[in-house]
Amino acid sequence: MSVEPVSCTIKTPVALQIGDTVSDLSRPGVYITDITLAEPVNIQEISFKNYYTAYLTVRVQQREDGSVKWVTCLRNHCLMANPHAEAGSHDYFSIYRQQMSAKPDNVMTVRLILRQPSSEWLNFNIEEINIYPCVKEDTEWDVPAWLSTLTPVETSLDLNGLPDPETVSSSIQQMWALTEIMQASQNAASIGRFDVDGSYDVKLLSFT
Amino acid sequence: MAEKRRSGPVMSDPKAAKCETDHEFLSQSGVSALLRGALLKLVESRSDDPIGFLAEHFGHLSSEVDDGSAENLTVSRSLWHLSLSHHSQRSAFNNNVRVAYELLTQSAPRRRSAGGVRGVVYTEVLRCLCSEGGLSGASAAPLLQRIQCHDYEAVPFELFRQGVLTCSVFADYIRKSQCLYAAVARAPDRPAERALCQAVLATLQEALETADGADVARYLEASAKISPAKLAQAMAEARPPSQQQEGPTMDAQEFEDAAAALFIARVRKVT
Repeated sequence: MSVEPVSCTIKTPVALQIGDTVSDLSRPGVYITDITLAEPVNIQEISFKNYYTAYLTVRVQQREDGSVKWVTCLRNHCLMANPHAEAGSHDYFSIYRQQMSAKPDNVMTVRLILRQPSSEWLNFNIEEINIYPCVKEDTEWDVPAWLSTLTPVETSLDLNGLPDPETVSSSIQQMWALTEIMQASQNAASIGRFDVDGSYDVKLLSFT
Repeated sequence: MAEKRRSGPVMSDPKAAKCETDHEFLSQSGVSALLRGALLKLVESRSDDPIGFLAEHFGHLSSEVDDGSAENLTVSRSLWHLSLSHHSQRSAFNNNVRVAYELLTQSAPRRRSAGGVRGVVYTEVLRCLCSEGGLSGASAAPLLQRIQCHDYEAVPFELFRQGVLTCSVFADYIRKSQCLYAAVARAPDRPAERALCQAVLATLQEALETADGADVARYLEASAKISPAKLAQAMAEARPPSQQQEGPTMDAQEFEDAAAALFIARVRKVT
């Protein structure tokens, strides 16, 4: 099902560092990115492209009955199995609603906390973030009634004195098939009984 | 002069001339094509009596060539063609119907009937087909009433084919319904119980009345309705095993008529 991602504003990542950002030479190991949503959304999926982020935590700000609160949905989700190695560094990920510990409903803001403990990489980030809302399934697939009764209920029918259902069923099936053959072969061929030069003339109706 | 140069004895000369004559004779008379046609027909029909079949085939061919045949002979010849293959052998059956139709259209004396077979001949063919299929006049009458044509009308090929196919299929259907009655009755000398017969016919009717939709969905739904489990359930409901005494019975003819009615209701009336 094709769902359009909701429109959102992604703020620039803010690094969490001990000490002064400018003068400190060591690279930050944590980035925080906030995503503001235009209107409250029930999130179905968050998809993104990784760039050397090792661990991801997702927190959402929910608006419930006037009050806002922050809830952690996903804690330290591992994106790279070995933070020093390449595996998973450029992969595409999707976080689904079912993976989250709290239901992401009525979400105003999403906060992504990215961690990369390895000093290997100069920079790390996540890109192409898309948030997909829950889609209400209007078209519920209607299971036909006969399909649900296909597997017979295991009530032991007392068939004493009744004809053999297999034989009866086999005969009926053949009769049904013969009728279908006859119906399928019927086409619009007509003898043109009521046609007058190709058209229908009311005066020629006969009482057959 | 040329004979002296031949290496073999002079005796071979008449033999060689005779072989050439034989080969020439066969190709000129078209006998090989005749035999090929006869063998193809035989293989298509898989008759139990090949010699009798071939005799009939050549007999018909020779009378066709004479071209002075009366109309009832034409009807019997076309019926013979129609009897050659079962309706389930679709392409062979269609071929035979075409041949029979050509025969019947050509048999019109003096003027060629425009538009097809004459109605009276068509009705006669259908009636004979039904009786050959083992149907009594009474069983076939309702069907014929739906598909027969007036004596003066001209029947086109498509309608002719449809009518012939319907009669053949109906004959098979009635035979099947007789087997069904035998299965429901369980014993050949006892009549079947009315409640059981009605339950069984009701399931068939329900399957036939499956709503229109995609063909595959319709077939699946109909086959689910006539599965052995469903039938066992219907029969058990109609006649609970606890009921010991026998209820009213239905005889074979009534059952056959009821089953025939289900079929005939679905036959399109000719207009």
